[in-house]
This record gives sequence, structure tokens and C-alpha cells, in this order.
Amino acid sequence: MSEIQAYVNERVLVVTSDGRVIVGTLKGFDQVTNIVLADCQERIFSPDDGVEMAPLGLYFIRGDNIAVVGLVDQEQDSSLQFGALRAQPLPEILHGA
Amino acid sequence: MADTVTAPITSVEEPLDLVRLCLDEHIYVKLRGDREVRGRLHAFDQHLNLVLGDVEETITTVELDPETKEESVHTTNRKMDMLFVRGDGVILGLIPSILYTAPLPKKLDNHAINLFRPPRERYETPILFDLSKD
Amino acid sequence: MLFYSFFKTLVGQTVTVELKNDLSVVGTLVSVDQFLNIKLDNIKVEHEDQHPHMMSVKNCFIRGSVVRYVHLPPAAIDTALLQDAARRESQQSTATAKA
Repeated sequence: MSEIQAYVNERVLVVTSDGRVIVGTLKGFDQVTNIVLADCQERIFSPDDGVEMAPLGLYFIRGDNIAVVGLVDQEQDSSLQFGALRAQPLPEILHGA
Repeated sequence: MADTVTAPITSVEEPLDLVRLCLDEHIYVKLRGDREVRGRLHAFDQHLNLVLGDVEETITTVELDPETKEESVHTTNRKMDMLFVRGDGVILGLIPSILYTAPLPKKLDNHAINLFRPPRERYETPILFDLSKD
Repeated sequence: MLFYSFFKTLVGQTVTVELKNDLSVVGTLVSVDQFLNIKLDNIKVEHEDQHPHMMSVKNCFIRGSVVRYVHLPPAAIDTALLQDAARRESQQSTATAKA
């Protein structure tokens, strides 16, 4: 489970199991992928408007609710035109149905 | 005595033993999310994680016509060469009928013996079936 | 441990991980752990035009519990060897359960 050790103190993009996208600096993690993120912002995608950035501060996310943790390429990220991006929010993870 | 009787016996005592007999067989698996897959079983574990080859997946969706309010059932199919299926999505699997219908191909003789062999615990001496007489 | 070992033999191969939210991620398998969490490099989300959420991510960790399928390259897999390993492991786990 040292898999995300390499991401510590880096900017990461977390996709949660309810389909939200949160970007923050990874400060810690454990065996079951509980994580701590500093300087978080939620990126809210919508088909009608550009991406809304909601500042969240310091977050703890329980592992069960995490789908993906991605390393953000800062250079590419800062070149993205979020104001012009249109997309449906990601679907939630469906374990049951 | 026929060779089949002295061959190593792996008995069917729990459900996963039956899954083991399906290795290299074409099986049907029903999954959560109205999905079904058919394919050749190459691997499984106690969680029912699977690896299947030559897979065909069928997804069933029900659509409601907004005007007539009638429901219609649609299926979409996908073919995949080699697929890992995570066990938590598995609902049930169908054992290929070839494993319990007679007459059996030679390579399944041991399977047939073992499918009908009572659990070891209940008998002091193993019960053997000699299929060579038929 | 069968699938943990199995996935370790596939490190370096290109795989497609299909998640339970219908997102498919293609990438090079970098590592796997005992929970079957998967790490991919050089990733691309399928249908990126509809799913631009991870456009600036090239390397990611996918939690095993959200995986539905992993599409594998058949050329990288010795099916006879795999079946033998599965047979052996299932007999072993039955034996330890009784002990």
C-alpha cells in the first residue's frame, strides 16, 4: 500500500465515489486509502456553465469514498480553460445496481 | 481396476470446488448492474474474482417511452478477448451442463465420479465408482 | 494472493480499467497491491470529450473496490499456467480452511 506514497506533498486530483472531483495537496494516507488533503478545491462540472472552483480548505476523506487519486500535471492543469469546459458531472460509483 | 478409480480424487465438498471444475470450461456469469458475461474460465479465487477469455458481455437496459409510457427492454453486446472481473460484482454462475450429463467425455470421468461422491467425513473408507463397466 | 501475483506479472502492459461509474481508463500498469488497488501511468480516459475531469492527470491510483473489469492483453497471458495456478490455489485454500 505504498502506492500513493509517491504522491505525498504533490497536487492530486481525487474522484470520489459520489462523482465529485477534488484537487488538493496530499498530506497523508493510510492502509485503507483514508487521505488528508490541504488547500482543497472542488471542481464542479456542469453541462451549461464552465467549471466552478469551490475552495474547501483542509479535508479528510474516508477511503471507502475514494475512487481515483491522480497526480496532477501542474503545467497542463494551468493551461486548461476551465471557464470554457462543459461536461456532465461524473456518475457515482454503483456497487449495488 | 480401471485407471479412473486410482486417479487422484478431488471431491466436491463446497461451492468453490464446483467452480474449480469449471476451469477451462465456457461459463455464464450474472453480474450486478444488469450485466451478464459468457466466456472461458481461466482463473478464480475465493472472492470470485475471475479471469475469462473470449468474453461476450450483455448489458440489459429498460427504457421508458416518455409519450406512450411503455417500457422497452434493450440489450447491448460487447466482445472482449481477456477480462478480469472483480468478484464483488458476481451474483451467480452457471455450471456448464456437460459436467453433469451422461455420457461423459473421457476427460471428465473423474469430475463425474467426484460430483457424486459423498463427503469424505461421513465414510471411513472412500467410495469408488467404476465407470468402466458401462 | 492469486490475482495479486497475476497482476504483478502484467506490470508494464497496457490495460483498460473499467470502473463502476462507467469510466474507462487506459494506461500502463505500474503496480498493484494486495487489495488489487491499481496504479497506471500515461493514462487516457476513454471518451475524454465527455469526461474531461481528469485531463491534467497522467499517473493515477485506482482503488480496487471501484473496479468492475480490467481488460487485459491476451498475448501477455499464459492461460494454461494461469489455470494451473488457480487450481492449485483453490485446493490449498480448501486445505487451510480445514486445518
